[in-house]
Amino acid sequence: MNASQKTTATQSQKLMIFVLTMSLYGLATLFTELIPKFQIGLVEFSVEYFLFIPLTLAMLFDPLSAALGASTGELVFSEIMLGQFGGLGELEKFITVAIGVYIAGRLVKDPRNKLAVGAAALAGTGLQLFMGAVVDVLKVQFAVEDFEAVAGLPESVFATEGFAFLNDFLFSGILFCMLPTLYLVPRLYGKIEPLLGMAPRTAGAEGGVNLRVAGICVLGFVVAVLAELAATAGMALIDWEASWAESGTAMAAGMVVAAALAVIVLLALKKNSERNVAG
Amino acid sequence: MLNKLSENILDKFSMDFLRNQVLKNAYGNDDTPIAALDPRILLVWYLFFGLVPWFVNDLPFLLGCFVLVTITTLLAKVAGLVLFLFGLGVFSQTGYLFLVTLLFGGNASAVAPLLVLTLKVATISLASITVFSGLDPDRLSNGLMWFGCPERLSFSISYAYRMLPMLMEEFQNVLLSFRLRGNPPAHETIWGKIRYLAYQIKVVIWAFYPLMLNTAKRSRTTVEALELRGYRYAAVNKEVKKIKLSTLQIRYDDWLFLAISALWVCLTVFVSTLL
Repeated sequence: MNASQKTTATQSQKLMIFVLTMSLYGLATLFTELIPKFQIGLVEFSVEYFLFIPLTLAMLFDPLSAALGASTGELVFSEIMLGQFGGLGELEKFITVAIGVYIAGRLVKDPRNKLAVGAAALAGTGLQLFMGAVVDVLKVQFAVEDFEAVAGLPESVFATEGFAFLNDFLFSGILFCMLPTLYLVPRLYGKIEPLLGMAPRTAGAEGGVNLRVAGICVLGFVVAVLAELAATAGMALIDWEASWAESGTAMAAGMVVAAALAVIVLLALKKNSERNVAG
Repeated sequence: MLNKLSENILDKFSMDFLRNQVLKNAYGNDDTPIAALDPRILLVWYLFFGLVPWFVNDLPFLLGCFVLVTITTLLAKVAGLVLFLFGLGVFSQTGYLFLVTLLFGGNASAVAPLLVLTLKVATISLASITVFSGLDPDRLSNGLMWFGCPERLSFSISYAYRMLPMLMEEFQNVLLSFRLRGNPPAHETIWGKIRYLAYQIKVVIWAFYPLMLNTAKRSRTTVEALELRGYRYAAVNKEVKKIKLSTLQIRYDDWLFLAISALWVCLTVFVSTLL
């Protein structure tokens, strides 16, 4: 029994898995961000979902590290590096990707079982897409003022989101997630693990989705929805803003004067300090 | 004609072009007024312009914020590709929704809420472009760390910026070697074109097989090098964090930036109360 025979990963191996998934999935999402999508009618053909990369790695290694690595990679490479960071909204993507990949990784008990790998890949993708669609519908419902009042908007949102979900699931889910995963997992099995100093995952090691895992995932999803729907709290803020806007011309003028004063004082201080440095 | 056009576009989107744009975005603008600001101040600034527009439906206020973040984006000298993607993203999203709304029997009255939505989205994205592409990665990750973000996130940011050029080059090399040895299907007819496209996608997927193995080796090397330097202990050690963050300092320029932004925002509020 030497060190490489252990089936559970050590802390540094977990970090390796994290770094590996992060850089690979980050690279892939960077491409998808850069390559424009093209649409034929309503059907969108996007090269989206290189999700097969984290899925493959989550099935071969520790699912949690791979899942966190994947969402961090996406966040860092394609959002922060390209300056497309959307603030709180990114939290939703972060969590849904992590949950999808994690669940898929947990579902596979033995990476040599092709049926399980394919099913888990589809389940993970479907879960991620479904959560994304739900959040999107809720988002539009809360973000657009007088949602119900705009004729045709509610139906259109449900229709486009539902359609996008089905389209993504059938098109990218099968073509870009299930098939590549089925291609990669058996080929990498037993080859990539020694590179990280680990033994391949075997049947009955860790795996399966129990109540605890499901509970954590549901909780994560709720957090994602809440983050995305911080706009609900905006309802109160809008009211507050409206009442204040009526009465507060004088107050606004006061704030303008205060801010202008601050600018002038700062300019003076800056000049002063520059003179001190010079003198 | 069409052939030439697609060739032209493909030339524009070559791997080298992408790499250059990303690198330029990351490291090419150290000398801009925005990059010189303190990352903490910029993050606070972003917190305002990234959140508040969601909650406000006041048109003059939103317009004012939009103008301000446009100016800061110009000051940050963001790479062209990023701006192009931003435009594409904003207008494809809401424009598409508008078309579908029309399809379901909506009329021009749908334009107003959608315009407000577009304005909000545009303001928020421009603010994030200013902060996250205007700053260079090390300063950004230091700023995030100061606010107590997990060490792992700032590590990821620094690592990503260092590694990305290498990864891209390696990916390109693998793709090229696949192309050299491969035998792509003829693509004169429509059916052939579809098969050619499928072949290209397959090559990209195949390319990830060697890439995964290589990256696995590299990430092991990286992590072992980090462990040798005691990374996991340093990450949680307060003393180390203090030394790391000691380079950050807030100067008058930073306060001035905040004050001018505040002045502008107050002015827009003032204007909207007058209207």
